[in-house]
Amino acid sequence: MTTFADPIPAKRRSRSDAIQKAAIAIAVVLFAAALLAPLIVPYDPLAQSLLSRLRPPLGFERYAPLHLAGTDELGRDVLSRALYGLRLTLALAVAGAVIGLLIGGTLGLIAGLRRGWVEDTIMALVDMQIAIPFTLVALLILSLMGSSLTVLVLVLGIAGWEQYARIVRAEVRKLSALPFLEAARTAGAGPLYTARRHILPNLVSPLVVQFTLALSNIVILESTLSFLGLGVQPPQPSLGSMVGLGRDYMPTAPWIVLTPAALIVALTFSVQTLGDWLRDRADVRLRDR
Amino acid sequence: MIRLMLTTALAALPFAASAQEITVGAANMAPYLDPGRDHSNVGSQFYYNSFDTLIDRDHTKLEPEWTPALATSWELIEPKVMELKLREGVTFHNGDPMTADDVVFSLNRMFQATFPPYVVRAKDRLGNFTGAEKVDDTTIRIHAEREEPLWETLISLQQIMIIPEAYTKALTGDPDVAEDSDFEAFALAPVGTGPYAIESFQPGEKLVWTRFDDFWGDKAPLEKVNVVQIAETASRVTALKTGEADIITNLAPDQLSLVESDPNLKTEGSATALFHVMIMNQNHPKLQDPRIRQAMSLAIDRDALNEALWAGKAVVPSSHTMVEMGALHQPDLVTFEYDPERAKQLLDEAGYDGFEITYDTAPTYYTNGLLAAQAIMEMWAAVGINGKVQVQDQWSGNDPEMMARNWSNPMYFADPFGSFGVMWAPGGPSQSEGRFNTDEDYAEKWERFRFSTDVETRKEAYAELMEEVKEDPAVLPLYRPFESWGMKTSVNWAPLPGHIPYVLDFRAGSISLADS
Amino acid sequence: MIAYLARVLVRSVVTLFAIVSVTFIATRLSGNPIDTFLGEGLTTEGREELIRYFQLDRTLWEQYLAFLRGVVSGEFGLSFVDRRPVTQVVAERLWPSGQLLLCAVALTIAVSIPLGVLGAIFRKSWIGSAVMTVAFAGYAVPSFILAILMILTFSYWLNWLPVVGNATPLHYIMPTIAMSGVLVAALTRFTRNAMLDVLGQDFIRTARAKGLSEARVVLRHGLGNAGVTVISVIGLQIAGLAAAGSVVVETIFSWPGIGQLLVTSAITRDYPVLQFGVIAVAVAVVAINALTDIAYALADPRIRLARS
Repeated sequence: MTTFADPIPAKRRSRSDAIQKAAIAIAVVLFAAALLAPLIVPYDPLAQSLLSRLRPPLGFERYAPLHLAGTDELGRDVLSRALYGLRLTLALAVAGAVIGLLIGGTLGLIAGLRRGWVEDTIMALVDMQIAIPFTLVALLILSLMGSSLTVLVLVLGIAGWEQYARIVRAEVRKLSALPFLEAARTAGAGPLYTARRHILPNLVSPLVVQFTLALSNIVILESTLSFLGLGVQPPQPSLGSMVGLGRDYMPTAPWIVLTPAALIVALTFSVQTLGDWLRDRADVRLRDR
Repeated sequence: MIRLMLTTALAALPFAASAQEITVGAANMAPYLDPGRDHSNVGSQFYYNSFDTLIDRDHTKLEPEWTPALATSWELIEPKVMELKLREGVTFHNGDPMTADDVVFSLNRMFQATFPPYVVRAKDRLGNFTGAEKVDDTTIRIHAEREEPLWETLISLQQIMIIPEAYTKALTGDPDVAEDSDFEAFALAPVGTGPYAIESFQPGEKLVWTRFDDFWGDKAPLEKVNVVQIAETASRVTALKTGEADIITNLAPDQLSLVESDPNLKTEGSATALFHVMIMNQNHPKLQDPRIRQAMSLAIDRDALNEALWAGKAVVPSSHTMVEMGALHQPDLVTFEYDPERAKQLLDEAGYDGFEITYDTAPTYYTNGLLAAQAIMEMWAAVGINGKVQVQDQWSGNDPEMMARNWSNPMYFADPFGSFGVMWAPGGPSQSEGRFNTDEDYAEKWERFRFSTDVETRKEAYAELMEEVKEDPAVLPLYRPFESWGMKTSVNWAPLPGHIPYVLDFRAGSISLADS
Repeated sequence: MIAYLARVLVRSVVTLFAIVSVTFIATRLSGNPIDTFLGEGLTTEGREELIRYFQLDRTLWEQYLAFLRGVVSGEFGLSFVDRRPVTQVVAERLWPSGQLLLCAVALTIAVSIPLGVLGAIFRKSWIGSAVMTVAFAGYAVPSFILAILMILTFSYWLNWLPVVGNATPLHYIMPTIAMSGVLVAALTRFTRNAMLDVLGQDFIRTARAKGLSEARVVLRHGLGNAGVTVISVIGLQIAGLAAAGSVVVETIFSWPGIGQLLVTSAITRDYPVLQFGVIAVAVAVVAINALTDIAYALADPRIRLARS
């Protein structure tokens, strides 16, 4: 996904705190809903009812009682599917972000600690990853390999590793130059020990920020892939595939598309705001130190 | 205003045809146009407007009634030889006159095919013909290997529509030799004798027909037809509503009400001469017991699928048979039923232990294909079958791992041989893909069905074949899908019962535009 | 400088070669076209015949060498599906994609630079907050959702705008907006921050002290200086967008562009088209990246020195 590096670190944002708080509240609600989906959804997301297909949401003509957000083309409950879709989308995004963190973090650490050709190679990979339009690569991988959840998670995982790698490498280099590490090294501490003891603790805060920001990018990537039919496969619901498969019914049954679409936007917006908020706080701490 | 007056004035003149042009929004546009190598549901939409066969039929009638086309008369001069008199004064779209050589070339490109895509196509339906020869400038003969009960039916196939010899050979390389690359090139610049010439063709995107003024028969009613691919269902409906298209194809049943509720629009539809089928792999290690496959079949409530997904407009068959097959239509055969109790019992007897049975489907290819697949999983679950849909574009019919999948079995020509027969003959595609077995007994029944000249014998043999299918099933016809076209109310067009599925017949008498 | 240019060139060529080879191998390992679009209902002999005909019976290595020979001699082969030269198939698709891209970039610049400047000038008032909130929200709406919502409103309900293809100027409206959405959001933020950065610097204070009008200060000195960075960023983004952003939009609007072609040919395993399409896109991306690099280096000697 398109990412921009801001030319100056974000300082105090002028956006009103109210929006920020609301967005964070939404993020919390969405995460809770995703976690608790099996407990709170009114219907089995896969249960069909062929006789009550395409029923509109509560309050419209012909609505089916208890199907709050209506039913889809197989008579399944749209709300239940959307919440399960949210759950799957978030699970995939978190898994992807963790894989990205592991790959990127490890490579970044190595690049930071081991200079020379190792660093050159890793940074060349980072450059390449930045230069390549990843959505397209993901599309090609999935259409060639066939889309299983495993492939999908891996694709989502390599989607954003280079950001972690850059952050970790930069941080490591900055810290290595500090006198106390120099001292530790002369005292005979190995690179692994140095990394665990002195570098990792300093990385937590920037990585948490990057993780959150990456999360929303991965949600968008996953939704886009599933929308195009290359991600999560039916009957399993994901927010993107609900929009993609519901497209044919848009003129007659727009609710099939609108519910998951609204959830995607709410999710990306609130997670991004959360990430932004974390970044602001991290910046403040860094400045105060 | 001036244009309006002009049109009115022109319309008032009894013999002056007004310029009539329409745009068709098609779900699919063919990647190439060659009637010989093509037998897809996509391509079959387009050939009839631009190409002719030697023998045609009256497409307004369900029962075959043969009519002269590029041949004016034909007779069997020997049991295995047919002689045909050719129409004179026929011109190809490129201006070449049609000769006996062109006809012999067109027939033999299939009967004695060397170009691999032709070889593949010729084998499954034209295998009984050994060749064609020129007798004189207006007479040709076709030779069959064995006595042929379906002469006219097979001579009127799309695959042996007539194309120009000199033009084709000169497309690439040596102008006197038919190279493979000539046929490749032909498929991008096709030329025939039909009422519409192909003015431009952009593979997979667009096709433009213009009226061919030197057509030998009744002139085309439309001046120009643009066919544009609009893949998304909802987009096609919108194109119709915004006026971008005058006719749209493949309107899903769920969208019918949307079009019909618009006073300027209407729909035309019919249960297409094609079955959506479920195929099952007889040779999958877990499915070798026929009772399991019987249960998979018996568990499916096809009427419920019809009601829910097709608004009850599809046709659910009791056997692999269609009314178009005329004398060979056998609606009284009961080969396929819904009986969940029996299904449970069979599963029990077969000792089914709940292993997963996969059902493959492409995401969008068949109308309602993915929906039906998911609904079938529910029906399977109701009898205890643990089913799982696998969505993939890949054709898995030749994969030994394939357990069940959807497919379509069109009626390529109006005979059980043209539908069931093309796919399930001994040594045919289903068998050579390794998911269907035949034995000597089956082959013997097949022989009687395929080559007997007596209709009753053929019917009897076909009934016996159906019994085999019932006992050891490899296929279940789900339904004849109800295919609809949406159009402006000013367009008078409807699919004709005598055509193979999906043909867009815009010839004289098949379409007209009301003055609006 | 020449050393730097050479380095950029070598890296570009190596990248291209890697991309092409990986594409080649990945496609061959993933199944063949006989199993996708040609496969239904073939007899075993028929299948083998077609595999021979399409020369898919050769070993991977032979195919790869033949392919490389083709690349060197400029012969990229025929599409498996429609049997036209792939160069023609791809060339047909490049211009529509290019048009859409240009429209999207133009719209992005026209909208986001003024918005970004406004956001910077009025950063403390409600205007600034509004701009940033819109930009922020825009960033959260994936292009396919934007497209879907527009189609729903302007096509299905109002029947105003056409949804298929690129026949008339009206056809450009929704795809252009859908493609620019995320970019507008991002570039607005970027412009605003770049402006804030510049406006805080000494020479701006000097300019103000000289008594120049505020408009002149902001536009001439502020935007003039921030513009360099902004434009280099646009350059980078075009590369990404040229290949990726358009796939989704092209698919939704049946736009006859290169993105849609790549995905379709990947699904049908039409290797020759896919390979050449990837080469074309990769060349475009690598070239734009290299040009941006060079332009940047020319503009800023520090980079040139640091990298060489």
